[in-house]
Amino acid sequence: MGRLFWKFFFFFMLAQVTTAVGVSAAIWLRNRSAHTPDNPVPVLVHARLLDATAALSERSGEPALRELLLDWSRKPGPTVYAVDADGREILGRSVPNGAGENARAPFEHASPHSSRRVVLADGRAYVLSVDGWSSGASFGQGGPGGRGGPGPLLFPLAPIVGGMLASLAVAALLAWYVAKPIRSLRHAFHAAGQGNLDVRIGDGMGRRRDELADLGRDFDRTAAQLKLLMDGQRRLLHDVSHELRSPLTRLQAAVGLARQQPSNVEASMDRIERESMRMDKLLDELLALSRAEAGLGVGREENIDLVELVHDVVRDARFEADARSSSVAFATDVGELETVTIMGNHEMLHRALENVVRNAVRHTPSGTRVHVAGTHDAARREIQFTVTDEGPGVAATELGSIFEPFYRGGQAKGTLGHGLGLAIARRVVEAHGGSIRASNRATGGLAVEIRLPV
Amino acid sequence: MDDDVELLEMLKTYMEREGFEVTFTSDAEAGVTAALSDAFKLVVLDVMMPRMNGLEALTRIRLQSRIPVLMLTGKGDDADRIAGLELGADDYVPKPCSPRELVARVRAILRRTEPAEEIDAESATIESGSLKLFRRQRRAEWAGKQLDLTSTEFNLLDALARNAGRPVSKNELSEYALGRPLARFDRSIDVHVSSIRRKLGTLPDGRSWIQTVVRHGYQLIEE
Repeated sequence: MGRLFWKFFFFFMLAQVTTAVGVSAAIWLRNRSAHTPDNPVPVLVHARLLDATAALSERSGEPALRELLLDWSRKPGPTVYAVDADGREILGRSVPNGAGENARAPFEHASPHSSRRVVLADGRAYVLSVDGWSSGASFGQGGPGGRGGPGPLLFPLAPIVGGMLASLAVAALLAWYVAKPIRSLRHAFHAAGQGNLDVRIGDGMGRRRDELADLGRDFDRTAAQLKLLMDGQRRLLHDVSHELRSPLTRLQAAVGLARQQPSNVEASMDRIERESMRMDKLLDELLALSRAEAGLGVGREENIDLVELVHDVVRDARFEADARSSSVAFATDVGELETVTIMGNHEMLHRALENVVRNAVRHTPSGTRVHVAGTHDAARREIQFTVTDEGPGVAATELGSIFEPFYRGGQAKGTLGHGLGLAIARRVVEAHGGSIRASNRATGGLAVEIRLPV
Repeated sequence: MDDDVELLEMLKTYMEREGFEVTFTSDAEAGVTAALSDAFKLVVLDVMMPRMNGLEALTRIRLQSRIPVLMLTGKGDDADRIAGLELGADDYVPKPCSPRELVARVRAILRRTEPAEEIDAESATIESGSLKLFRRQRRAEWAGKQLDLTSTEFNLLDALARNAGRPVSKNELSEYALGRPLARFDRSIDVHVSSIRRKLGTLPDGRSWIQTVVRHGYQLIEE
């Protein structure tokens, strides 16, 4: 039994005791007022009752009185007694104290409220008296001779023990009902805290439909999401260590060569410099990727003219294209005087588009052209840039994975870069609420389509 | 065999200066063909090339040849390393490594795979129970049947057979079979021993011929 059980139990007890005390107090007060002699209502009723009985017996004689009292004694209500001069009750009942006193004393001076003295037609005299609220002969405990005034309030042991047992049982049931899902939640959280994110509550809740079951489902969703994120991070870390390994191995080989052939140090130095620059670039791209994943950095939003931005990107890419004797063309349906702007991070967006365009420049064969087309869809409030090259394209099964970090096309051997460019582009575009997708063109080459909401 | 051509060029230069003849390829297919051509004494194979499966190349080499194979593995990629050793690689070097380290490891393996000249007539053959080792030919028979062992496995079995009935520590085994002291957390010897066990079969009562001596090493059971 956990603490929860005892808490339930004590709250139950508290509720029960409060209810019991409240109800008994109310009943006790009510009873007491019913028994109070100077309470005008019962006293007046009693007086009328006595008047009626007296009148009936004076007129109809003793048998009628006897019959009436016998009849009344079987029914609930005030009990009327008739005592003759010898102190005998007409039905042979014993007269309770209060009523008895009233009954005997008034032979001398009957009180006008609680007793009457009647003289029947045959000359016999009776004192009629009335006693409280009898539950009637057939009604068990009260019986004729009911209670004169408030009875002693006994300590109600049996009901209290019974109540405790009942509340214990109900508390146990409730505690079990509430604590069971909480316990399985706790186990799940504990396991998750230990790093096991495969734990699921799912079936542990059975067919429950309430907030606790919702909580369990939320936990499952959270754990699944966390696991996905963690797996992604772990894979990224693994890939990063792998990517750093290659330049480091080359660096070590270069150092080894320099040691081996001191005459040829200069060539090794160049190599070492190149490798360290590669690592620097890798780190730079990794940071960009992590920044894009973290949501670009707060407070660096500005209004960006997208067409101008793409013009810049294309102008820069032309240098690289010239070196490969290919070219880059940019066409847009956005008019000269029109501006299409987006709120976002200028540097990151520039980087994203640059990565896509440069990727195309790198893969298009020399002498061919990379096309960048910008289409503004005012109705759908979005702008679409399509970057197409005339290179070999990507295997259809790999079209989705080219946006994963460290993916490098199957054919691309020894290419520059680390396969982070398109991953960065996707993260940045998505952080701006847009989407990016790649497809193979029917005429050969890859088309990358970027949509951004404006 | 590696997919990093720049690295291969540098290593070739380095190793040629150290007196080796080196050919490299970054194509698994060509590499496997070359390894099976009998023109080489040792293969250095990167098992974690992203674009070609080094482990698969190793499997294909081992199907037909006992040529010594030195794996290049990523530091911390224990799974790849164990898998490679199980597939019959002789030893491994974690990347990044210095070329000096690589050359030392290559020399150690070559030294131990060439039949030693100084084996005299009486120690040329060792017999222990069903096991027969022809040390000059580096060949082993089990109950009259030829055992297919890699050279590292042969060295291990040789060391165990010469000490049959006595336990040999893992460190001694490593020194003798791999030419290097055992590194911490290095499971190479255990992996090699378990592949030898598979090839030897078991005693009638189901135990292995090679017994583990806890916290120490291994022991070949003497009949």
